[in-house]
Amino acid sequence: MTETGRYLYAIARGLDPQALTDVPALAGGHLEVVEHRGLGAVVSSVDLDEYGEEGLRRNLENLPWLEEVARGHDTVVQATATQAPTAPLRLATICLDDDGVRERLDAWHDALEQVLDRVEGRMEWSVKVYARPRPAPAAEATRPAASGAAYLQRKKAETEARQADESSTAMIADEVHESLAARSVAGRRLPPQDPRLTGRSERMLHNGAYLVEVDEGVAFSALVDELATAHPEVVIEVHGPWPPYSFATLEQT
Amino acid sequence: MTSTAPETRTRTHAESRAERLPEIALVDLLDRLLGTGVVLAGDVVISLAGVDLVQVRLHALITSIRSDMVEPR
Repeated sequence: MTETGRYLYAIARGLDPQALTDVPALAGGHLEVVEHRGLGAVVSSVDLDEYGEEGLRRNLENLPWLEEVARGHDTVVQATATQAPTAPLRLATICLDDDGVRERLDAWHDALEQVLDRVEGRMEWSVKVYARPRPAPAAEATRPAASGAAYLQRKKAETEARQADESSTAMIADEVHESLAARSVAGRRLPPQDPRLTGRSERMLHNGAYLVEVDEGVAFSALVDELATAHPEVVIEVHGPWPPYSFATLEQT
Repeated sequence: MTSTAPETRTRTHAESRAERLPEIALVDLLDRLLGTGVVLAGDVVISLAGVDLVQVRLHALITSIRSDMVEPR
């Protein structure tokens, strides 16, 4: 007989368990809410062969598995976040049974309450800034240099132009972040994503996450549009609203 | 003669609450699910506290991307 564990998706406050009946759980299971001291943990049962420590180490290297679990986890978090203040849990948090879940809720009760207070009525927006591809070198630069000295001089000028360009786009990214952070409840700079992961040729200068009041979402994306118009040298993209993934970390409390 | 049915444009409160939020790109989702989010550390939890998540993530993603590349460098 295979053992099962309880996979935790999110912790919510004031969640009606009936609201999640039509939402699919991972591994064909069904969602339940384990309640304790005013908090509800959204859980479902998973097979420990697949989700135990050994299985996870193996499966996390398997991209299709990782994608399916990440998408499944996100579906549940999103459904929960539209119903109640929600603290999403990190991928693959598994307790052995419901007593284990309640023990976690007990041990982290105050920190979880603080997280829920912080994210209640707020959503996460993502804003990324990319460097625009540099224009092709001017016709003059592609002509053969008249002498070795002229060649070196041109190379030096090109390097200086590129460095100036990089420092000015980095300043724009800082400015964009400051403007957005001033208009949101909280802002974080996540590490810029590797072009191999984004599939885009432009270099990512800024990968920001912002916690924004639900009612302020429209104004926030309008501000991003304004910043994009003011800085045509960079590409600025906004995505959201998402559940407050980046602002539900207990370490910050 | 066709007529538009206005009631099809009207959503109930419950329906609009259950509406899906915009889908998150996988790379953004993994940034968040592996890098942020609540970690309930403790011995009852199996969890991934001991695993270097960033390494796992990049290894998985880059391995897959490389295998798709026509000319790996």
